[in-house]
Amino acid sequence: MAELIIKDLVAGYGNVSVLHNVSLEVEEGSIVALLGTNGNGKSTLMRCVAGLIKPTAGSITFKDEGAEIDLISDSPKQIVDHGIALVPEGRRLFPLLTVEQNLMLGAYRKAARERIDESIEFCFELFPRLAERREQKAGSMSGGEQQMLAVARAMMSVPKLLLIDEPSVGLAPILVAQMIEKIGELSESRNVTILMAEQNFNQAIKIADRGYIIVHGEIAFASKDAQDLADNDMVKSYYLGA
Amino acid sequence: MEFLELLINALIAGILLGGFFAALSIGLSICFGLLDAVNIAHPTIIVGAAFCTFLLNDLLGIDPIVAGLILTPVFFLFGMGIYSLYYQFFERQSAEALRGLAFFFGLLFIAEVVMIMIFGVDHRLVSAPYIGESFTAVVTGMTFSVPYRLLAAFVIAGLMTLGISYYLSSSYFGRATSAVHQDMMALSLMGADPVMIKRIAFALGLATCGLAGALMIIVIPIEPAVGRFFIGNVFAIVVLGGLGSIPGTLVGALILGIAESLVSTFFGPSWAPAVSFGILLGVLAFKPTGLFGTGDTR
Repeated sequence: MAELIIKDLVAGYGNVSVLHNVSLEVEEGSIVALLGTNGNGKSTLMRCVAGLIKPTAGSITFKDEGAEIDLISDSPKQIVDHGIALVPEGRRLFPLLTVEQNLMLGAYRKAARERIDESIEFCFELFPRLAERREQKAGSMSGGEQQMLAVARAMMSVPKLLLIDEPSVGLAPILVAQMIEKIGELSESRNVTILMAEQNFNQAIKIADRGYIIVHGEIAFASKDAQDLADNDMVKSYYLGA
Repeated sequence: MEFLELLINALIAGILLGGFFAALSIGLSICFGLLDAVNIAHPTIIVGAAFCTFLLNDLLGIDPIVAGLILTPVFFLFGMGIYSLYYQFFERQSAEALRGLAFFFGLLFIAEVVMIMIFGVDHRLVSAPYIGESFTAVVTGMTFSVPYRLLAAFVIAGLMTLGISYYLSSSYFGRATSAVHQDMMALSLMGADPVMIKRIAFALGLATCGLAGALMIIVIPIEPAVGRFFIGNVFAIVVLGGLGSIPGTLVGALILGIAESLVSTFFGPSWAPAVSFGILLGVLAFKPTGLFGTGDTR
């Protein structure tokens, strides 16, 4: 029952403004892609939702079970407690801890601790590779395995809304396709609402129900559905430079 | 025969001394090994706890070990306060460990001066039934002795180390503590408050000073500046055992304890520090992360 509504968001770092009046919506149970190349504000938007950056204006509302929660003034911890998890850009694993320890830290919030065994089982089913590597240090794994762990660790908090920042970055093309497929899978099996920032347009639209294109910190295009996104000329000009 | 007797007695004393060293180092292992706080004042804070033990024993007749248990929560709260100051004025503004070092150096001097003003520079002792007594056994003509005061230190240090080690490896808080220096931002994404984790872990490190202080005054007579003699030892033990590893600290403490005891017995006490640091350098040359280090060579 989770839904995210962002209205007129303005945010940046110090005096540098990165997002200018960004509005977007992620409907319950859907996968929404936030598309754009580097430096257009995708990660900044993700960080605002996770509470790592305080926006200067606008609103971020999380609707869950009929309740409307204003996220603007909440700390990252409070936001996790609402059932929102971020898979950050660059994965940000704990490199010296084992796969299992990383996963267990993912279940830090109170509501997740009760379901930790079930969650670990789910993660190992979703990514069997992680089960093989459970005693291995996260820092010693390959990029693809690390990305699996980053997604699995976020799922350990039993989120209702999952934010994924560039799951494809630094992965071989075949692994990108697999990763995107897995994200599609978990959205269905766990009934989790997903907002995914991605550069890889062709892969992202495979699973996205809808999408937004962000250019220089502004939403340049908001699609009604997946087809609408795939057909849009804006996408082609933007990605192919035409 | 005489040599064997000497050797075995030196080994026994060394293992017990190692236990005492572990009690002095375990808190630093948390503060320095896990939290990157170069708490050079750690031994001096232990001396402070030793003086508190002295007061409780001298004025109220409380057993020093019981006094140490009473002081543990007091030093926990003290640690919360010290960390808040440290965070507010140093850590939050820059990540440089050197600035933190200045803070703890200042703390060391202030604590020493305060103790000198209150207690003067005389050596102080406590009295308890087990201080000054030894368990003695005669086996095949050789006499072995185990001083009870060192035995008490060994047992309590062992329990403290195992307890903390177990708690840190099996609790949510413990796992967050081992993760906090690796990536604070990622930890906040897990729904933990990194600053709160650090504050509590630091306070836990200083809480060990309560019992360690009681053990110190049981083992040796104390005066305000005695902490300085242990700075080298405790840092050597934490680095030898491996930053971030609590069991490693226990092993490091035992190695240095045995080494110092053997060297003191056979070559004289003045060689002991040279051998301790020789071992440290030797180990670091072959294993830069220390014996049980997590692979992080900060």
